[in-house]
Amino acid sequence: MKFDLSYTIDALPRLLEGATVTVQVALLAFAFSITLGTIIVLTRTTLNWRILNGIIAIYISFIRGTPLMIQIFLVYYVLPVTGLNLGAFTSGILAITLNSAAFVSEILRGGLTSVPKGQFEAAKSLGVSGFALWGRVILPQTFIASIPPLVNEFTQVLKATALLSIITVVELLRVSQQIYSSNYHPVEILSGAFIIYFLLCFFVSRGSVMLENHWRVRRA
Amino acid sequence: MTLDFSIFVEYGPHLLMGFWLTIKIVIAAIILGMPWGLVLALGRRSRFLIPRLAATSFVEIFRNTPFIIQVFLFYYVLPFYGIRFPAEYVGTLALAAFGSAYFAEIIRGGIDAVSKGQLESARAIGMSDWQAMKNIVLPQTLSIILPPLTNQTLSLIKESAILSTITVHELTMSGMRVQGEIFRPFEVFIMVALLYWGLNETIAILMRKLEKWSKKGRTSNQDSAETLKKEDVVR
Repeated sequence: MKFDLSYTIDALPRLLEGATVTVQVALLAFAFSITLGTIIVLTRTTLNWRILNGIIAIYISFIRGTPLMIQIFLVYYVLPVTGLNLGAFTSGILAITLNSAAFVSEILRGGLTSVPKGQFEAAKSLGVSGFALWGRVILPQTFIASIPPLVNEFTQVLKATALLSIITVVELLRVSQQIYSSNYHPVEILSGAFIIYFLLCFFVSRGSVMLENHWRVRRA
Repeated sequence: MTLDFSIFVEYGPHLLMGFWLTIKIVIAAIILGMPWGLVLALGRRSRFLIPRLAATSFVEIFRNTPFIIQVFLFYYVLPFYGIRFPAEYVGTLALAAFGSAYFAEIIRGGIDAVSKGQLESARAIGMSDWQAMKNIVLPQTLSIILPPLTNQTLSLIKESAILSTITVHELTMSGMRVQGEIFRPFEVFIMVALLYWGLNETIAILMRKLEKWSKKGRTSNQDSAETLKKEDVVR
């Protein structure tokens, strides 16, 4: 057999359509996971309840200790049994959000330690507390310090979306499977999808440098 | 929904067989991937353009694409060129290739962390590049890269679940088979998750002990080096 590029080129429009779904899923899941991750970090540091901290620690350990694929199965197959029927797309996003939030919260916790203690003290001495303290003083610095690992985490999310093809979310990998199951040219089609994934992740990870520079300029 | 864990009396051995295959595959992937990762790391630091370019593109390509599509490509491309292996071998090979890209980055980071003077002084006393690398730099790298290597091993255990998509009968696959027979997703997948979790936690704890132990040796060495210096000063 020979590698026939015309199959890749013919499939390209549909592959790109699939890629937009991939990007959508990744952006949605990442937005949710940043929100959830921030909430986790805030409850950990401000409330500091022992039971809650214990639950969070077990949650993070579970997420980090088990394959994402099993987590996706747990969300996709178990929730309907309890009467909650979400569909593949929503449960896929939920699974990736729950997975990524654990990592995001660990990243933000690391970023938080890089904020000098003087910032808290200075804000308090100026009478800034509660929402203003966190929303205006601490969290912005935490996020800027965490840009490189957060961008890295976003590429992880981008790659993780490919797993949703198993639970029938029609994203890039699923689209390519649909194409090659009808024309039986898996190598050509998968190579096309492979290159699209590579370009997406590669440019996102290179974008980290740009983001950092952008914020550095605004801060100066 | 009532929970019924008695099903594992009958299906437990099935899961454990899958678990054992997962462990075997990961060990094989590490044995194959670690030396290849070292080759890639040294290739990326090479003076010559072609090995540097080849190693860099290998690492970047494997790090910037989802593992599942790499697995599919291995599964379809090898027969495309007339190479036929059982799915287990293809899966192990894919996992090794994927892991080696990350191992390469870890090893490269470790080499960079060893101070440059070490390499230069080794070269200055007449060692060849390879001798300096083998005798001076790499041994010092080992204790630096132990924690990230552990993390990568844990990550390989988790990624191996994806091999179930190409019909490798490892833990996730056995879980799916059992679930297909008895339709009890919660019990089955929680049990599978617990097996993965337990394995990962055990390795993490063991490696943390090993790290502490290796650091202990190091700091005491440094301490003795420092006391030597102090004695020098006193004298």
